[in-house]
Amino acid sequence: MTLTSLFPPISTLKIIQMNDVSTSYDSKNFVLEHINLSIDRGTNYAIVGQSGSGKSTLLKLINGMMSPNGGAVKVDYMTPDRKDKAFRRVMHTIGYIPQNLGLIKNLTVLENVLVGSLPRLGTVQSLFKRFPAVEVAEATKIIGQVGLSGKESRKAYMLSGGEKRRVAIARALMQKPTILLADEIVSELDHVTAKEIMDLIADAQKKINLTAIMVHHDMKLALEYANRVAVIKDGSKILEIGVEGDTIVDFQTGNMTTEEIIGMYSDDPEK
Amino acid sequence: MTPKNNIIIGIIIALLVAASYNIGADPIEFVEGLPNLGIVLEEMLLVEPKHIPTALWAMLETVQMAFIGTVIGVAIAFPLSLLATRNLNNKYVYGPIRALLAAIRTFPSILWAILFVIMVGLGPFAGVLAIVMYTVGFVAKLQYETIEAIDTDPMDAIRSIGVSKWQLIRYVVIPESASHLLGQVLYMFDYNVRQTSILGLVGAGGIGFYIINYIKFFEYGKAVIFMLVVLVTVLIIDWASVKIRDKYIVKSQYGMDISTKSG
Repeated sequence: MTLTSLFPPISTLKIIQMNDVSTSYDSKNFVLEHINLSIDRGTNYAIVGQSGSGKSTLLKLINGMMSPNGGAVKVDYMTPDRKDKAFRRVMHTIGYIPQNLGLIKNLTVLENVLVGSLPRLGTVQSLFKRFPAVEVAEATKIIGQVGLSGKESRKAYMLSGGEKRRVAIARALMQKPTILLADEIVSELDHVTAKEIMDLIADAQKKINLTAIMVHHDMKLALEYANRVAVIKDGSKILEIGVEGDTIVDFQTGNMTTEEIIGMYSDDPEK
Repeated sequence: MTPKNNIIIGIIIALLVAASYNIGADPIEFVEGLPNLGIVLEEMLLVEPKHIPTALWAMLETVQMAFIGTVIGVAIAFPLSLLATRNLNNKYVYGPIRALLAAIRTFPSILWAILFVIMVGLGPFAGVLAIVMYTVGFVAKLQYETIEAIDTDPMDAIRSIGVSKWQLIRYVVIPESASHLLGQVLYMFDYNVRQTSILGLVGAGGIGFYIINYIKFFEYGKAVIFMLVVLVTVLIIDWASVKIRDKYIVKSQYGMDISTKSG
């Protein structure tokens, strides 16, 4: 056995693994059933499915906000559990943007972004809102990157939908994340704004070695940005597609064109 | 109107009649007593304006008592309310705290006043202590209910970063609920001024002491001055707190409402 097989290079490490994972809110109705997933570091992974198919639950399993009823989840080879001190350190670097973004409405843009740096701040400093100059500078820089320069002191509730999403992304970037979880954050936006937001995340991915796991409503958008797309239906993974440029590289369910896939799995009410 | 509703209304009326009979509530006696009210009103009209300065000083004392009681009470209630919330604590913490708060609330302020008069003697200090106790029991309940009703979205999002509980309180709980909490404090002060006005009945200071004594000695002309001063003060405080609420609280709540929509 060679050394490289024992210690594979970082890029091939599986950052997230799910093995036969099931979750349920009560004993009968399963939200997720027998999910197997394996996500490489640095992937832009998309999860597509209709509402209520368990996509959001899948994200919460990764950041330890929920635990599976069966099977095993591994994030960075650790079992997610928000009560576990060691996993907390992993949580510090998982950016999570829930569907309604979870901004604190009565705090300013700058404060909302600085919240991402709280794990690096001591209790006393954080109680008195004493953020070190380095962190403030970093936050200001990130706010500039997401295109909100000059709006640092706006209260979050005064922002538009697109701006709120930028703040949520900035907060996640402030965590110096290795994983970004985003739950349908562009579904309610118009097409142009949605693309701007997606480009922002793609840009951030180029700069840092970020694994993005994004839940989408829209198959078209998922195929456009993701390297890999999983389709979830009624709590089960029914399809996983690898995407490279404009072509689909591995495809489990026979010969379908991109258009057919989009037609089948987009949530278009006209279909 | 469904038959079920009719039955419920019937039961309520039956209970009303039975209970009235039981405690001797008799409408005829009420009508027969009306002339007595006339006599009292007539004597009240013999207003003695030279007592106005005394009444104002007594009212000032009352407002001071209410102010101290509210501030200290809220200062004690807020940490307790944080411990009593189900979304921040486990049941071994919030259970006992809630039981304690419920026990404090079972006493009306006048009973607390009697207790503290026995403890620290007659005077305003006993009244302040009574207001503190009442405020703790009441405000803590209002506040933990408010904190539990905070939007779960920012809570989950910030919790998922792995922050400490103190940080969660400082950056989510307080900013998200501050305007509601402030509104409750204003309401409590308003209410405490009214309550303190009657604590004098048991010798715990404030304007109520004068009112009860003048009434006891049938000096309605003097009592009415003090009652009018209470009325006017309460109206002023009511008006002021509505203004403050409009200015600071309604605005930020409006912000909360629109922010739940996106687009």
